[in-house]
Amino acid sequence: MSRLFRSVSLGLFLCLGLLLISWWNLFAWSVVPVSGADVLHAFTSFNDQTIAHRIVLDLRLPRLLTALLVGACLASAGAIMQGLTRNPLAAPSVLGVNAGAALGMALVSTLPFLYGALSTSIAAMLGGGVAWLLVMLLGSTWRVGANEHGRLVLAGVAISALCAALTKAVVIMEEDQAAGVMTWLAGSLADARWQTWQAFWPVALISLIGALLIAPSLNVLQLGEDNARNLGINLLRSKLLGSLLVLMLVGAAISAVGSIGFVGLIVPHIARLMFGQDFRLCLPVAMIIGALLVTLADTLSRAVTYPMETPAGAILALIGAPFFIYLVRKRTL
Amino acid sequence: MTAQRFFPFALLMLFALSLANLLFGAVSLSLHDIWQGLFVGSEQHFTVYEYRLPRIFLAILVGAGLALSGALVQGVIRNPLASPDVLGVSHGAGLAAVFYMTYFSGASTEWLPEVALAGGICAALVLWYLCGTHSSAIKLAITGVALAAFWASCIDFLMLTKPLEINNALLWLTGSLWGRSWPQLQALLPWFVLVPFALGLSKYLNVLDLGDDSANSLGVSPQSVRLLSLAIAVALTAACVSVCGPIGFLGLVAPHLTRKLVGGRHQSLLPASMLTGACLLLAADLAARTLAPPIELPAGILTAIIGAPYFLWLLLRMK
Repeated sequence: MSRLFRSVSLGLFLCLGLLLISWWNLFAWSVVPVSGADVLHAFTSFNDQTIAHRIVLDLRLPRLLTALLVGACLASAGAIMQGLTRNPLAAPSVLGVNAGAALGMALVSTLPFLYGALSTSIAAMLGGGVAWLLVMLLGSTWRVGANEHGRLVLAGVAISALCAALTKAVVIMEEDQAAGVMTWLAGSLADARWQTWQAFWPVALISLIGALLIAPSLNVLQLGEDNARNLGINLLRSKLLGSLLVLMLVGAAISAVGSIGFVGLIVPHIARLMFGQDFRLCLPVAMIIGALLVTLADTLSRAVTYPMETPAGAILALIGAPFFIYLVRKRTL
Repeated sequence: MTAQRFFPFALLMLFALSLANLLFGAVSLSLHDIWQGLFVGSEQHFTVYEYRLPRIFLAILVGAGLALSGALVQGVIRNPLASPDVLGVSHGAGLAAVFYMTYFSGASTEWLPEVALAGGICAALVLWYLCGTHSSAIKLAITGVALAAFWASCIDFLMLTKPLEINNALLWLTGSLWGRSWPQLQALLPWFVLVPFALGLSKYLNVLDLGDDSANSLGVSPQSVRLLSLAIAVALTAACVSVCGPIGFLGLVAPHLTRKLVGGRHQSLLPASMLTGACLLLAADLAARTLAPPIELPAGILTAIIGAPYFLWLLLRMK
């Protein structure tokens, strides 16, 4: 009873936090002054002539919604990856999916014979998929064993380095706007508009629902492959389905805002710490915390170099890398 | 291949690659042009003497320095995955240098190697604090890589929050030899005083391979050999990084390749690694300049494209 009470109150607390941070994100550190009351008025009594109202609805709201959904996507992708590989260090950015997706997008938007052949989100998924497949094969993780954890991560790092080098090479050959590309590679929400949101939300929503649906089979997978097979789980099918979901989640998020790292690594751990190991509970909570974290990072991204913007991904990487080191130290590899 | 046959072959390679670097580029020159270009007043003087020649020397020095540091680190830690860039030393040095350049924009670049050295030492100390002396090879590598990622994200953060200095820093940071000339060469050269000391250590490094107990009973203190070799490796890496930014995977690949060719005796391994590193970087720079002229790719990108798969291969073979 007390455990249920604790879970419910924690959940309510998280939702309340999410609402507050969303509200804060809509008005804080705006170059044109917008107050918290303006935000509420923009929703209740919208006035076309008020600049503050238009900023909130035309610029801030799509940005906020994108940030929320990107956070949810990346966090659940990380949780699924950690569940599939049973590796606490697994995450899209660690295992090369982010770098591969970025490479896919760079290739499709710069190489003339590919131009227009694929949409950027499909290219991101394909690139991420190829990178992850390589990491999985090289890190030999389908034969799960505790001592393979480190190898998988190092394989991911090497594939990431390779993809990043190739991306840079492609970008330098085709473009000389160093700063713009850097911003895009670091993952920024500054350019998220209603178009971005419209292209992004259908795929994201479908994959998020899919993620919630495979949570029970992820739970069974935690018992080990043999036990899972004995319990009637089709291992190959659930792994393929999980991988496909990860690629859709990450591909959609990256094609919307660029490569944002470490959300997928940190958030599932926080969710597990708060709500235990059950994926049916962990996944939705991870989505909420992910949304919260990315929105917070986006708000701070306007504050750090006010009145200019810093990519939210750069801020998240500053928090994420030390957390990663902490995880490595805690586990015996 | 034995050491006797390796050295003439590698020297020949080095000479051929240097010549190719002089000949090819955005404009191809003839041998006659190059000879003329060495003297003041000729048409090609700028291209040959101010542009290509110092760059070749730099590629040789940086390649040799990074490879030597890699060989020293691998010899000391006895970890096939170790190298200054995998352990985060290169990026630590890079962070210190970028910090110095963005926050003290009026400061002269004269102190860049020293600043980078301080950063490299700090990065090495942090790693040592986190891992201690007895971590498994994979754990050390992962912590190093994670630290490298952290330093890199700090660099990104600095560069993104200081967009005015970004072009300057980016130019320096990409692991490229572009735009470097005689002044950088002058800054780098004094650090190579350390090379004879490193070569002098090779005898003791051999003894270290027998294990700490044997080393002790042979009158060699393993701790001081380790400390000295690591200090030299960090200093050389930082000096190289301060000139052309972190060049990835060179310090990892060159010693491995050389060990395959000449064996593990440090007396021949260390100088041979230097030659291999110099050749690799010359080749990478040649490719970087000639793949899509007049655009230049950073040589570090090419070394990463070769080096990352090699790292994966090492990982696969490790038991």
